[in-house]
Amino acid sequence: MNPFVSVVGLILLTVALMVLPLVPAFTELHGKSDALPLSVIQQHTGEIRFFADGFRSYIKGLEPVLGECVRSGGHTTGTMPDGSEYLVLGRGEEALLLPFRERNEFRPVMIASGSDLLLPPETSFSKDIYSAGSVMGGTNNHYRAILAEKDIRLGSESSVMRWVHAVGEFSADAGCRLYGRVSSDAGIRLSRECSFLRLNAPFIAMGEEADPALTSLPIPADTTTHQRLFHEGDFEIPAGEVFRGNLVVRGRLRIGAGARVCGSVKAGKALVLEPGASIEGSLISASIMQIGSGCRIRGPVIAERMVLIRKGTHCGTVGNPTTVSAPDIQVEQGVVVFGTLWARDHGQAVASL
Amino acid sequence: MIYALYVIVSVICIYTARHYWFTLNRLFGFQRHPYIDIDTADWPPVTVLVAAHNEEKVVANILSALMTVKYPENKMLVIPVNDRSTDRTREIIDEFVERFPGRIQPFHRKDGKGGKAAALKDAMELVETEVILIFDADYIPGAGLVKQLTAPFFDPEVGGVMGRVVPMNCGTNLLTRLLDLERSGGYQVDQQARMNLRLVPQHGGTVAGVRLSALREIGGWNDTSLTEDTDLTYRLLLNGWKTVYQNRSECYEEVPETWPVRIKQIKRWAKGHNQAMVTYGLHLLLGKHRASLRERIDGTLLLGVYVMAPFTLVGWALALGVFYRGVAPLHGIVAILSVTAYAAIGNLAAFFEIAAAVRLDGSRKRICLVPFLILGFAVSIFAVSWAAVSQVKDALTGAEFHWDKTERFRKAAS
Repeated sequence: MNPFVSVVGLILLTVALMVLPLVPAFTELHGKSDALPLSVIQQHTGEIRFFADGFRSYIKGLEPVLGECVRSGGHTTGTMPDGSEYLVLGRGEEALLLPFRERNEFRPVMIASGSDLLLPPETSFSKDIYSAGSVMGGTNNHYRAILAEKDIRLGSESSVMRWVHAVGEFSADAGCRLYGRVSSDAGIRLSRECSFLRLNAPFIAMGEEADPALTSLPIPADTTTHQRLFHEGDFEIPAGEVFRGNLVVRGRLRIGAGARVCGSVKAGKALVLEPGASIEGSLISASIMQIGSGCRIRGPVIAERMVLIRKGTHCGTVGNPTTVSAPDIQVEQGVVVFGTLWARDHGQAVASL
Repeated sequence: MIYALYVIVSVICIYTARHYWFTLNRLFGFQRHPYIDIDTADWPPVTVLVAAHNEEKVVANILSALMTVKYPENKMLVIPVNDRSTDRTREIIDEFVERFPGRIQPFHRKDGKGGKAAALKDAMELVETEVILIFDADYIPGAGLVKQLTAPFFDPEVGGVMGRVVPMNCGTNLLTRLLDLERSGGYQVDQQARMNLRLVPQHGGTVAGVRLSALREIGGWNDTSLTEDTDLTYRLLLNGWKTVYQNRSECYEEVPETWPVRIKQIKRWAKGHNQAMVTYGLHLLLGKHRASLRERIDGTLLLGVYVMAPFTLVGWALALGVFYRGVAPLHGIVAILSVTAYAAIGNLAAFFEIAAAVRLDGSRKRICLVPFLILGFAVSIFAVSWAAVSQVKDALTGAEFHWDKTERFRKAAS
């Protein structure tokens, strides 16, 4: 072969090999197919009622039909502008007698009821449910999402996949599984062995014995100066002692029974709150947190691994709601959280820890 | 010569390993977002400082955005820090003060030392709240951002908070697209990995917060620093305060659209960073203070990032020298394997990090632009090296640092 051709060929091949990886780059630079700014959530704020509010706006289109069904006492079916099928009930108890229930499943239709809705047991509802009154669910049901203008009560062993919002009180019988967001404008009450992820209400009570009214005694606000005690290693506040200021411990921290902290607390490792202790600020652990019975905590409770809360403990107050958050949360019956209870991976209401 | 090259290559290898460690942690490790779920609380009073020096093009946008954030109105005070502006900045701020009585308290600074840190230092006389948030005037905070940046301060160990910066003008030209990729790598991987690994997330001085008592404890803003954010990060660290990074607290910013502005910006960052390295480096690594061992090591490496540019240039020169002088760095197969392995993996560590970040961001096509990063890398390495040389020259001649404001490109709000 002619050496000149070989050299030119080699040069061209080299250039081609160098340019080849840049072809997609030049194509994208010129075509700008992905040149918009990354999507940053500017308007909504992670509000727990976001989906419920959206569904309420969506369902507004059904108001005339709903009103007509309530007046006539009958039911009707139809299709929303987006093609979704719906069933509108004038009388909520009609759902128990619906003719098109097949093999323990409803056809995938959205249900809207003009009055209190009674739902049969052993049924899966794969579309959203709306009730202008309350919702009383049968046992072992599976729901996608529920919005009710009054109370919602789920029968035992039921599950919710996406969200629930009750303008009245929400309660779940034993063994319910709440996978999405559950919110109420009045309160939430979970029976034993219910699992949850994200709950928000003026009060969240575990079991019938939990009494939100008990916290009429306000927990004082953290009125201390912002002095901080910093301690390497483990630390203990003896039982009955009063500690003033913020406390940061790099090791384990034990707060004795009946002790009071007028400030916030952080532990780098395990944090144990013995029965009857009270914290006027926040309670933070970079590991596991065990909160004994009858404790009072005013500020946020955050653990990076797990929180165990025993009976009679109250987090937040009616006037000062707060957040309890950890990947894994286990809560005994009798605990009350005012505000948000948020388990990233798994939350469980248990009879006893 | 050969031993100097060994040292340089070893240091580069440490940074390479660090890039891979961060990226793999971000891709496969446990992700820490401990405070992001705090959505209900007795929110503390907050002061939002908006640093503004000749910001007539952008200041209305941020003030409008701050007036609509979801935070109790009676607990949030906005203080626009108008630092000796000669354009319409003052007029625009005063219009907002009239429109939103009681919610904005302007701080018009007519004279004094130049620079953001000096302006913030003077503005502190108006600050009474424990939580202070800081934004540059070209940022546009979303509705939930103030709550998100405030939430970590419920932790009494937290002294500083940093959110994520997202370029909003990324589609303008090649430079903005490259900066968009760099920001992704820097925040989505670098900062979040440091947060995950309990290392040293860096305070960025904007989309950020600081605790007043922590700031007072460390002596307030350092107005001799060119990068008050880096300076703040290290003084907090040395005094046992944590800076936390919140990857989901995102905020739009404007990135430079021309190369001269970009070069000026990165030169200032480099000088400020190097300044912090000289001031705190040795004490951080070996001194007696409250930082953990991993924080000491990571903090020192972080301080050294801008020195790596001249270091790499020297390494290239030494490699050429070694080659032309016929000094074999190693022998036989070991040499071939080392060079090949480094060329195949080592050089690509930073690009791998950025590609992983873009993947985590869920972008589809912008990852194709990664090969162009070599251009941004080349410009940065020379600009940063030049900054280092001039910084040494300034130190020798006793010349003072001066602070250059980054030019804005947005059209003024009507």
